[in-house]
Amino acid sequence: MGDILDVISTRQSIRRYTSEPIPDEMIDKILEAARWAPSGENEQPWKLIVVRDPETRHQLGEIARQGTGQRVTAEYCLGQLQPRFEGIKDVEQRESVMKFMYSGEVSKFPATAPLVIIVVGELKGMFDTPYDLSACIENMLLEAHSLGLGACWVHGPAVYPRTAEKLKKLLKIPTGIGQYKVLAMVTFGWPDGKRKHPRPKKNIEDIVYWEEFGRKERS
Amino acid sequence: MYDVSYFNDLLARMEEIFFHELSECSKPKVELVGIDFLRSKKIEGDTVEQVIESCIGHVMKEGLVKDISYSIHGFGILLKLVMKGCIHLPKEVRLEEDGVEPYSCPIANMILDRLVELLHYHGVYVAAMKVDHHKGECVVKCAIYENVEKIGQVSDWVNV
Repeated sequence: MGDILDVISTRQSIRRYTSEPIPDEMIDKILEAARWAPSGENEQPWKLIVVRDPETRHQLGEIARQGTGQRVTAEYCLGQLQPRFEGIKDVEQRESVMKFMYSGEVSKFPATAPLVIIVVGELKGMFDTPYDLSACIENMLLEAHSLGLGACWVHGPAVYPRTAEKLKKLLKIPTGIGQYKVLAMVTFGWPDGKRKHPRPKKNIEDIVYWEEFGRKERS
Repeated sequence: MYDVSYFNDLLARMEEIFFHELSECSKPKVELVGIDFLRSKKIEGDTVEQVIESCIGHVMKEGLVKDISYSIHGFGILLKLVMKGCIHLPKEVRLEEDGVEPYSCPIANMILDRLVELLHYHGVYVAAMKVDHHKGECVVKCAIYENVEKIGQVSDWVNV
């Protein structure tokens, strides 16, 4: 069996896509990868809504833009956003990046992704729905990357109950709070160029302890 | 008859578990906690000020909070609530003692909900809350977006 660490370690969150559609065979592979994700008690609580319709994608992009914009506008005003961008020394550029965030434009990309998959979880009778769905999403991200596609996991619009309800109504998902949970949307497409600013990962010694919490010496 | 502390203890336990489960994401998830109280009252008003004052009147009359003052800043997006003698204050104090930053204000939630329902505000939520148990006071900063165009209109909320 091959080592998939190369696939895992070269994956990035891609938010800019060309308009080229994704072939059905690739979509089927992504969905198949989702189907094989692990789940507590093998309950497989996921339901996946595949969205290709441009109008629906536009509305998804708007919901995402407005959701992020509302949250980040307040974060900026409260001084909570600025520390994240202290690394950008050029003041004008830093302000421009932050404006991109608080206007919500940063989250509009579901509108321009040729494919969006909404990840919905069954709740009743299930044990670990959010965690199962997260594993399902990761499988899709890795499969997409291995096919040369770009993808991005978008959780924001599902965070606020009022926004999540908008998503449910748009996609005709039953709105009862005990029925289904919208966990996230995942966007897919052919990458439009390379990411300008790859996100750094923490060093292994900063995240791993041996035998007990806090112990850094390898056992 | 049970003392209100019984219910505050329940809420504190629930909020601790919720925070433990979701970390900071627990904050937005609780935006509907508390809204039912004012939904059952007759809140009136055609402007944001009138609706807020009507809400405050009911909240104080029913004894949920002894005193509430409010002010609106930042292009109409920041609603600042200062509450003294809230019945939920012991819950917030207990959370702080247990190492969880207070994050859910049912009183603010119920007022914000009325802005959505009565004035059709586009988006509302509790953006920050600070509890001073020595003074018996909470300061809650809420983001209230009357419409989509308000998104991205930034100003200084720190010194308000």
